[in-house]
Amino acid sequence: MEPDILIIGIMGFLGLISVIATYLAVTEKNLVRAVIYSAIQSTIYAFLYFLLMAPDIVLVYVPVAVGLYPAIILFLIRKTEHEERD
Amino acid sequence: MMSRVVGVIVITLFITVFSLVIALGGLGYVLPPESVRELARQYLLIAYNPFNKTFTVFSPEVVTSIVWDFRGLDTLFETVVFYLAIIGSVALARGFKSSKPEKDISQYGLSPIVKTVTRVTVGMILAVATSIALHGHLTPGGGFQGGATAAVVPLLVLVIFSRYYLETRGVSKNAMLAIRSFGLIGIGLTAFIVLIIGLMSGMNAYVFQNQPKPDAPVGLPALFDGQIISGTLWFFNLFEMFAVAAGFTIVFLLLSIPERDVFKYLKEEGGEY
Repeated sequence: MEPDILIIGIMGFLGLISVIATYLAVTEKNLVRAVIYSAIQSTIYAFLYFLLMAPDIVLVYVPVAVGLYPAIILFLIRKTEHEERD
Repeated sequence: MMSRVVGVIVITLFITVFSLVIALGGLGYVLPPESVRELARQYLLIAYNPFNKTFTVFSPEVVTSIVWDFRGLDTLFETVVFYLAIIGSVALARGFKSSKPEKDISQYGLSPIVKTVTRVTVGMILAVATSIALHGHLTPGGGFQGGATAAVVPLLVLVIFSRYYLETRGVSKNAMLAIRSFGLIGIGLTAFIVLIIGLMSGMNAYVFQNQPKPDAPVGLPALFDGQIISGTLWFFNLFEMFAVAAGFTIVFLLLSIPERDVFKYLKEEGGEY
């Protein structure tokens, strides 16, 4: 198998998982779990940017979307309720 | 719960079928071309071209050349947006003061194992952040990337030690505001430095100019002691790192003020009116 095809296949698989993680994050009622799903999606995007040969975006995406953003949202959730109510 | 499982299956099937249809040419073959586009080719040629000294940035890193030279004003106003966002949160939290610690500072936070590991990794994160920012004109990275990486350090210390520990180490809101102002003043000065040199030497120069241009023969040196610094790019990256890291740290410090202190302050404030 050609390496290019393999990388494109991996990217497709990662993209599929990221969409599922986004769906779960949107529909989840427990906010802490929703943040974790969102962080999974961010981690996959970081890999995708790397495979798309955009290292500049990876370097800003890893600290912001994988580290700072979930941390800030968890900080805020700690100040409110853990469950989303209808 | 059941509806979410059905939702996941539907999404997976939809994406798989849709990808298959596109891969088989169902929407025609509109894939991106394999060769580099003309605009990108021009940028790649111009970014580092020592044979045409009046039409280059002297930076092998094309993204940083675009961000801080070709569209430098755009990045300046992005920095201003970030500045306004931080100013907004500082204004919202004006007057809030954190209470004094009730017990010994070392008793706050997580276990000693986590604290020891953090002590080791904090140095490494800072080293990587500095490297990302100061090599931003040579390798992928830059001021914002380095600053965001450096901002992970106060966040880790805040969660694993406590905000009191951070404050005893001198990381307070006012100190961070001073560092951020230093970074922003530096960015502003770097934007005008070539114009100031041009005015002082009586030659033509532009705002946000980096290397000499045919009608503006002044510019910052591309090399310093034999090392490439790409004129203004190195300074922009350095100051942007300070501004971004300190800005993020201010937000974390404000968010970490306990709710009861905020309510206490708001009650006192309301009593005055």
